Amino acid sequence: MYRFFISLCFLLFFVDGKAQETKDTTLNDSISYKTNYGFRIGIDLSKPIRAILQNNYSGLELVGDYRISKKWYVAAELGTEEFTTKEDFTNSTSKGSYIRLGANFNSYNNWLDMNNEIFTGFRYGFATFEQTLNSYQINSGNTTFPSQTITTPITEDGLTAHWFEFQLGFKAEIYTNVFISFSGSYKLMISVDDPTNFKTHYAPGFNRVYASNTGFGFNYTISYLIPFRKK
Amino acid sequence: MKKQLYFLLLLITTLISSCEKDDFCIDPITPNMIIRFYDATNTANTKTVSELYAWPNALDSIYSNASSDSIVIPLDVNSNQIIYNFSTGTNQDILTINYEVEEVFVSRSCGFKAIFNNITVTSDSANDWILGLTTTLDNTVTITTIDDETAAHVQIFH
Repeated sequence: MYRFFISLCFLLFFVDGKAQETKDTTLNDSISYKTNYGFRIGIDLSKPIRAILQNNYSGLELVGDYRISKKWYVAAELGTEEFTTKEDFTNSTSKGSYIRLGANFNSYNNWLDMNNEIFTGFRYGFATFEQTLNSYQINSGNTTFPSQTITTPITEDGLTAHWFEFQLGFKAEIYTNVFISFSGSYKLMISVDDPTNFKTHYAPGFNRVYASNTGFGFNYTISYLIPFRKK
Repeated sequence: MKKQLYFLLLLITTLISSCEKDDFCIDPITPNMIIRFYDATNTANTKTVSELYAWPNALDSIYSNASSDSIVIPLDVNSNQIIYNFSTGTNQDILTINYEVEEVFVSRSCGFKAIFNNITVTSDSANDWILGLTTTLDNTVTITTIDDETAAHVQIFH
């Protein structure tokens, strides 16, 4: 098996070596295709769609980025979410707002003056939220004395979460200066506050907090580029 | 571009659809009370009870015609007192258990469990077959806490 990989490495090495032989003899092209630089602002469409499909969810997210070089964009998302987690023994609602700050790197080489992106990004995320334990049932583990459901809500506010996330996505310019973007993200929690004698099941902007303190997310956004200049 | 978009869509759909319930409750939850039966004359030795019936007041038997030197009985998390009846043969004794319930969060899938504090177990004074709850055959015993099931919590001497 190792031999296979080693031969494969050699093969790729030679193929690569051959590809390098073509000499760049073209003269400098006098026509350069310029693309728009500016501030792009948009809205995440997946959140209102999710709110229609799931009655225990509501949320809104605004997205924005600013192009700083040919490949790099400074990006941020700002949003608010409310989600009710229904588990076997607990029912809790998280409600709050969040901000994600970071940058995107466009690894797609556009033809001519096209302005599409295949990007990888990283973000630092921060959320401030409250969590309400709507109802719960003690897991008594026996059927002789079934435990009653306690429906007195317990709210704890002032909770915060910090996380780091990686994004991978596409952007396509569907009309001039109008972009559709689709991206997925993997989140790693740095720190999250848990309510007293309970746990944060969902953090706004982070989504479900898995036992390993990781999370996933996706965005489907439509955005408009306000062009400042062409470069 | 379009092809790649479809691929990403497929990838994300797979990711989301796979985000189903992945954790199951495997942590210890609300502990039961473990009772061990000992010989009243030779208090260091366990002694099996035969034809044992155990039932909480007004409820079905938890043990029926059992033969064992230890039993496990649940406590009611919605109450602070539970009365158990124990009988062997024609002899019946009543144990009154008073306790405080403390709720402890375990995990997402397990939810909350209860642990019991300041437990007082009192045997009725009839002493039909239960002669005592301590080595000196007292009819009352107090336990600080029941938070696991690793060892017996109450000893019954008969």
